[in-house]
Amino acid sequence: MRTNTTAAALLLSAGAMLSVAPVATLGQGIPVGHLTDFSGPTADVGGPYGQGVADAIAYINRQGGVGGKKLEAETVDYSYQVPRAIAAYKNWSGRVVAIQGWGTADTEALVGFITKDKIPYYSASYAATLTDPVGGSKSDKATPYNFFYGPTYSDAARGLVQWAAEDWKKKGGQGKGKYVHMGANHPYPNSPKAAAEEYAKELGFEVLAPIQFALTPGDYTAQCLTLKQSGAHYAYLGNTAGSNISVLKACQTVGVQVQFLGNVWGMDENAMKAAGSAANNVVYPVRTSAIWTDKVPGMALMREISKMSDPGGTAYRASHYIAGVCSTLFMKEAMEWAVANGGVTGDNIRKGMYVKQNWTPKGTEGVCKPSTWTAQDHRSNLQFDLYRVEVKGATDGSIGDLIAKGAIQMKRVATIELPRKKEWHGW
Amino acid sequence: MAGTVALRPCGDFRTSYGSDQTVFPTRMSLAFCVLGVAALSLAPFVFGKYVLSLLIQIGYLGIAALGLNILVGFTGQISIGHAAFFGFGAFASAFISNKLNVPVFFAIPLAGLATTAVGLLFGVPAARLKGLYLAIATLAAQFILQDFFARAGWFTGGVAGTAAKSFSVFGVEISGDQHYFYVVLAYLVILYLAAANLMRTRDGRALVAVRDHYLSAEMMGINLTKYRTMSFGVSAFYAGIGGALYAHYLGFVSVEGFDILFSIQFLAMIIIGGLGSVMGTLMGTVFMVLLPEVMGGLAKMLSGSAIDRLLSLNEGIVFLREMTIGAVIVLFLIFEPDGLAHRWRQIRAYWKLYPFSH
Amino acid sequence: MEWTLLFHLVLSGLIVGALYGVVAMCFVLIYKASQVVNFAQGEFMLIGAWACWWLLVKFQLPFVLAFLVTLAFMMLFGLLIQVVVLKPLIGEPVISVIMVTIGLSIFFQALMKWMFGVSAQPFPPIFAAPDMNLFGLQIKTVYAMSTLISIGIMLAFAWFFKFSRMGLAMRATAFNQQVAQSLGISVRKVFALSWGISAMVSALAGVVVGVVSGVSPALSFFGIKVFPAVILGGLDSIVGAVVGGLVIGVLENVAHYADSQWLRWGNLYEIAPFYVLILILMVRPYGLFGTRDIERV
Repeated sequence: MRTNTTAAALLLSAGAMLSVAPVATLGQGIPVGHLTDFSGPTADVGGPYGQGVADAIAYINRQGGVGGKKLEAETVDYSYQVPRAIAAYKNWSGRVVAIQGWGTADTEALVGFITKDKIPYYSASYAATLTDPVGGSKSDKATPYNFFYGPTYSDAARGLVQWAAEDWKKKGGQGKGKYVHMGANHPYPNSPKAAAEEYAKELGFEVLAPIQFALTPGDYTAQCLTLKQSGAHYAYLGNTAGSNISVLKACQTVGVQVQFLGNVWGMDENAMKAAGSAANNVVYPVRTSAIWTDKVPGMALMREISKMSDPGGTAYRASHYIAGVCSTLFMKEAMEWAVANGGVTGDNIRKGMYVKQNWTPKGTEGVCKPSTWTAQDHRSNLQFDLYRVEVKGATDGSIGDLIAKGAIQMKRVATIELPRKKEWHGW
Repeated sequence: MAGTVALRPCGDFRTSYGSDQTVFPTRMSLAFCVLGVAALSLAPFVFGKYVLSLLIQIGYLGIAALGLNILVGFTGQISIGHAAFFGFGAFASAFISNKLNVPVFFAIPLAGLATTAVGLLFGVPAARLKGLYLAIATLAAQFILQDFFARAGWFTGGVAGTAAKSFSVFGVEISGDQHYFYVVLAYLVILYLAAANLMRTRDGRALVAVRDHYLSAEMMGINLTKYRTMSFGVSAFYAGIGGALYAHYLGFVSVEGFDILFSIQFLAMIIIGGLGSVMGTLMGTVFMVLLPEVMGGLAKMLSGSAIDRLLSLNEGIVFLREMTIGAVIVLFLIFEPDGLAHRWRQIRAYWKLYPFSH
Repeated sequence: MEWTLLFHLVLSGLIVGALYGVVAMCFVLIYKASQVVNFAQGEFMLIGAWACWWLLVKFQLPFVLAFLVTLAFMMLFGLLIQVVVLKPLIGEPVISVIMVTIGLSIFFQALMKWMFGVSAQPFPPIFAAPDMNLFGLQIKTVYAMSTLISIGIMLAFAWFFKFSRMGLAMRATAFNQQVAQSLGISVRKVFALSWGISAMVSALAGVVVGVVSGVSPALSFFGIKVFPAVILGGLDSIVGAVVGGLVIGVLENVAHYADSQWLRWGNLYEIAPFYVLILILMVRPYGLFGTRDIERV
């Protein structure tokens, strides 16, 4: 008897759940998909970014939506597992007109599907191979429906190299400066490696053999000893924040004198807190024109949007949050153009992205960088800022407190403007 | 199915060795299987894209999981590196169809053969090992292959990954989930029948002997090294085919995603499904594919509801979902350590013997 | 030949290798007693690290006290896991128990993320001098502490298994469960104790890694490094596991040295242990120090 009742119970519940899962929204709104990672391996950066997108969508709806219709967003936390992202997409396909995605795993898994189904995909994966809508550049796949707000990983690395060259000259360095790429043997850190090393060589650096360290935290004394012994002057840290922290701390212990260059997902306010004084002086790229504590006109809108999930208005929002909001607002303005020009379909939204040059969404002046997408080139930002980390003292306490007290500060050191070179397109 | 003692109804006696070794123990089970396949063929007309994609996922994951079950359940080895072979099959199929211009129809079996070669390569040293040593050697294979994928840009496209063409038969392109479903279904049926058939042949019985008591098997003249290596090869073949189907479904293969967590998911599929059971593999795959979806549906139902507000779960719901997945696996195995196949046999036995069962 | 660099690398390898050895010891302890491959070993480290962090940050306890409380908590935790989850599985096929440990690792990963968040958190400063000098190499003071404690634990384990009653009972159970039971040894107590000790000692490694790199959900991946160490040392002696850990630690660093100076293949730090592992297993299928299983029919 026990076997049968348990079996029956299992089957019934599974059936019930499955019947609930594919909920078809037959509303009057604009269906939008939203993939996030709130609980998987990239949750430490996926959380703030995903929250930014969700809050921006809620804010847009509160202001009346797009063309009078609200955005019906379905947020799916796929925990960085590709099968779940595919299932979520299939659940949406045929209904949604745009998707706010997240990382490399989901973006690459879905790139074939969204291109065939003509659904614009706004990712937080800034891989240069996703910036070629027609094919023909070094990236051999054409991705006309992939968009992202922010410099590509390769361009950000090129920008850091360019700054390093100027810094070397300013410091009065003798002979050739030495540049080394540090990262795991994995697509994410490898994405900008070739581009950065090539540009470094072009600018007169001596490019040393790359040093590998894994994407997980651990003991990297060996890598730091090698780094010290090689005499490198500029070291690019290609991994995500968790393991970069380990390297920074190990190198501080060993006593390495090198200028560390971070990447967009590899250095943020939380990494500064966790690494403490080891993160001091790291130079890293920022996708927005301002950080949360800056007093610029656009930040007022950001604070309004932040109140959607933090009514008290006290939360400190990392740069990833702001980037998520910018990404959503770009999508919204493209949708508004689509409403006025043939209806909100995936293809029209894509056309809406090409309409303006150097545009910032209304209300975000001074925060979201002016971006341009064209039908031949999806590199939206060739201009971005580089900030330097300054950590003074102990870093216990919440991030908001630390920044208010001045224990953690981020100072802008340069605004990089890269030329839109055809040879640099797609890699 | 074959490989286990089937409960034969009264009066169903066999008069020849051949009829005793049928793949389907009774005519009814054969009829049910045919009906099941026929019902599945109607699936694209009945179900929407979501359920169809879940079925396709169950298809290619089930094929790979069956390979692992042949290795673990039937031969008694263990492998924590199965995802690497799955990934190798995916890359191989993309490579063969892109760079060597072989039509996808032939690229998939060729990718399976390529993966078999790699499997044999790792199988030869593995044949000497037992137990935990073998498990860790396969773990090493997983990391070594992953490193190879990241390194070998000519094969995998390195950072950029590689695009896989869509399936085509004699120039007629088969695109869209509705049509691809039939391709996956065909491979699933053929490969599952092949595995069930393998288990009733001499080689299959040798594999089971190696699992049950390898000393006695060796004394009876069964070459342990040969059969252990063969088992690795066959399991890699299935993984390769599964990977190739995956590649052509997604249209793009990236190095990310074939990591140790994926290997562990395959292990979960066969352990929960039932080791040493062909049918159990499919059940375990269904369980593991549906579990996160069902939990996600539950979490969505729960968020915003009264319970959520009462316990102020909010963001905790996603973690609760993950915790429940782990808890379900643990609880399931505590109550049914032999897997779904065993539970299914118990249910069938209950009904067969009613009212005399207890 | 950069001798100083090589020397420092070997030294650093020995220090980290001692940590690997400690975790490998815990893993082998469980495997020997109950034949279970514990996939949740990394999560034990993680729970210990978070518990110690929480005690330090929330209650501002002095480090020694927080550490001892963490050890006691982890001992109880290990006992609880064994009694609640693993006892019903005594006698079941061992692969199901392995799957249960996998399920437990999923469960605890998510629980830790829920309780403590997904971002990395630094440990508050513990020692007056965070670094110290050892033969010209700057190392973190916590590593000196961990090496001393690891040596202490290894000696304690050696004494425990050779001379104490419970230790003998555990060795007997590992050798043959049924015979041990027939001699009046409580197999349940042995299992429970082995899980408790294993959890407790893993916590030590977790706290050390947490102090060095900060506590984050990815800390549990440290547990993967254990597997090559376990194989190198063989499964028969706890001390063998320690030797395996030290060898892996030094091997990683020496491979990295060779790679950076001459070979330039890249990523040898991560991969070399696995290649060496396979080579050793081809030559000696029972590991470097494992005794060959004499099989009787």
